[in-house]
Amino acid sequence: MTRLAAGLLGAALLAVPVGAVAPPTQFEVEESLTCQCGCGLTVHACNHLQCGSGDPIKKEIAERIARGEDKATILAAFRDRYGEKILSSPTFQGFNWVAWITPFAAVLAGGVGISLVIRRWTRTPPAPPPAAPSPADDERRRRLARELAALDREA
Amino acid sequence: MPEIGRLATCLALLFAVYAIGASIGGGLRRRTELVRSGEHAAYVVFGFVLVAAAILVRALLQHDFSLEYVAAYSSSTLPTHYAFAALWGGQKGSLLFWALLLSGFSAIVHLQNRQKNRDLMPWVTATLMTIAAFFLCLCVFVTDPFERMPVPATEGRDLNPLLQNYWMMIHPPSLYLGYVSASVPFAFAIAALVAGRLGDQWIRTTRRWALFSWAFLSLGNLLGARWAYEVLGWGGYWAWDPVENAAFMPWLVSTAYLHSVMIQEKKDMLRVWNMVLVLLTFSLTVFGTFLTRSGVISSVHSFTQSGLGPFFIAFLLLVLTVGGALLVYRLPALRTQATVESFLSRESAFLFNNLVLVGIAFATFWGTVFPVLSEWVRGVKITVGPPFFNRVNAPLGIALLFLAGVGPIIAWRRASPKNLRRAFVAPVTTGLVAAVVLRVAGVPLGYAHATFALACFVLATVVQEFWRGMRARQAMLGEGPARALGRLVGKNRRRYGGYIVHVGIVAIFVGIAASSAFRVEATQALRPGESMDVGKFTLRYDRIATEEDAHLSRVRALVSVSTNGTPLGTLGPEKRFYKKPQQPTTEVAIRPTLSEDLYLVLGSYDPPSGVATIQAYVNPLVAWLWIGGLLMGIGTLITMWPSPLERRAPAYALGGIEAAAE
Repeated sequence: MTRLAAGLLGAALLAVPVGAVAPPTQFEVEESLTCQCGCGLTVHACNHLQCGSGDPIKKEIAERIARGEDKATILAAFRDRYGEKILSSPTFQGFNWVAWITPFAAVLAGGVGISLVIRRWTRTPPAPPPAAPSPADDERRRRLARELAALDREA
Repeated sequence: MPEIGRLATCLALLFAVYAIGASIGGGLRRRTELVRSGEHAAYVVFGFVLVAAAILVRALLQHDFSLEYVAAYSSSTLPTHYAFAALWGGQKGSLLFWALLLSGFSAIVHLQNRQKNRDLMPWVTATLMTIAAFFLCLCVFVTDPFERMPVPATEGRDLNPLLQNYWMMIHPPSLYLGYVSASVPFAFAIAALVAGRLGDQWIRTTRRWALFSWAFLSLGNLLGARWAYEVLGWGGYWAWDPVENAAFMPWLVSTAYLHSVMIQEKKDMLRVWNMVLVLLTFSLTVFGTFLTRSGVISSVHSFTQSGLGPFFIAFLLLVLTVGGALLVYRLPALRTQATVESFLSRESAFLFNNLVLVGIAFATFWGTVFPVLSEWVRGVKITVGPPFFNRVNAPLGIALLFLAGVGPIIAWRRASPKNLRRAFVAPVTTGLVAAVVLRVAGVPLGYAHATFALACFVLATVVQEFWRGMRARQAMLGEGPARALGRLVGKNRRRYGGYIVHVGIVAIFVGIAASSAFRVEATQALRPGESMDVGKFTLRYDRIATEEDAHLSRVRALVSVSTNGTPLGTLGPEKRFYKKPQQPTTEVAIRPTLSEDLYLVLGSYDPPSGVATIQAYVNPLVAWLWIGGLLMGIGTLITMWPSPLERRAPAYALGGIEAAAE
């Protein structure tokens, strides 16, 4: 069940039809990789002048796409060479699932929690009417009336 | 002179410590003169920090390279306005700037509350001065902005070229204003918890401060986006960099607070939740500062490694521990009898709005810290970049946009079928029609399509509210349309100002969706006279122009723009090569219109062949981000503007001396 839910979530997040065979675009592969020059941007976004990292990676991506490699193969090649840090988002594997699932699980848990609280509230009989005003409240009320009257006179 | 600056910082710290002691002592023993003495000390703190900051600015403007900070962040050729901005351009100066803003805000708070909130003020003073003392401690003991060089430098290393941009003058101060002013609601929340004054007195007192903080966080984030758009030259405006996230998270939580506080004011509910949100907002500002200064997460914004991280973590833990403990201690007194009566009510809509806002903040936090967690658990470095944040936050953003339409028009307590019909038929119809029209027009189904349709739905709710309010005034008071509209807004500033803010948010959503989903780009190496096409534009590269002065040299590509043979002018994207430090930067050229920006970057230039690589982007509707920001600013101003009734409110309504005496 958990695997099924995880699979569905993964599919939704990927937003790519399962079994799609269309060749990857240069853009989508570049967006899936982080430039290693330290700019913190994706390979596609890095525009450092003659970037020693981004430019060769872009060239290699173009060559691999021209050779007919699919996105997973290209990303795996870069991952093998640079390590997982070159991927611009966590993979859908192992511990990295925690990255993807936790935000949705937290919001879902919050939603369920709020719904349960509202449900309990709506089933609770309304609170009893407030107790009779205390003498201090009477004094405040009289002062409020005096000040409002004074305000009205000012106006 | 710098020695006087250092002395002023030390004295400010001493007075801050005295203010803390005097306020706590006065508050515990109910000794008014001690409390007042603490407040006076807080004014003195501001005075000393102001003197210290003025001395540092003077040193920057006079190029006193005997100071390590001046030598590190300015040079003799740095233009004066950037030399001034260097005050917040580096680690040490920015900490002093933070202390300056905080002590300034403290002084304003004390002036505002000379006759009000007397039961809260000892604890407000103590909290604000504790924060000030923390920053002053850093300035005195850890990163002294007045540190002398062993041997005075003959020339400075200059301000980072990326910071030499006019946005540097306003973006960091805006964010700092937002960050630091979040201390005021936090201080009042702590004071309310300590004093046991748990009603909405502290909330009413800090409403404008919360709005002020939120407005400057909004402005700071948007100006940062604009700065990135103009300076970084990658065609976008938001990269989900950890430090961008650090500024975004408190904004989200602060937005949640501004909504949920309405429920407390209206129905005396959610007291605990509002306390949590205020504590969280402030904690996130400290966390953001920690991220920027600790070096724990790599970011283009980070200051150099400084070893400040442990201090900020310790301070964050102190804030969370004290705030959490007080909250738990007061939990029984914070609980109220009031409840939500139906799922179909404004209270419910606001609760779910809070859930989504805090959910986005959590998702952003999670993505920001996950690389550290992953390395800790697996020993493997990973990157959590824009694709993660876009995928996780996009569906939550859509839910938020939907709730922005529902919340303001659904009835309080319980929406009847009649109310639902009256409120929602027109907006829902508008949204559905928009969805169909957009689809027929060729907009593919997806997040952008959903955003546009929901934007129409939200706009329809706002228009409906204005229209009905105006018509009611016309019918009841016989006013003309313009007068009725003006009076409607003037007499309900908070409500209608809020609607204008929502319109601004809608504009920003539309700008983000369109520019993310429908951006067109092309990159091409061109010889002089050659052309390329991008979207509907034809770009002809004419020639390279070069300029040089003492500070930098420029290489500008002159590109003629036309569409369908009609000339539209010339754009000049350029590369700048700064001489100190020797670093190239990108200056993009933008042709902005309401429908799209043509955005050109000079990628590279080969002088022997004259070949220039031009990167061209067509970013649809991106102007609506900035227009949305402007609308948010206008709406916030309307909301904050005091009404005549408020100005004449009885003193005890604001927790004045008489109320305290009772």
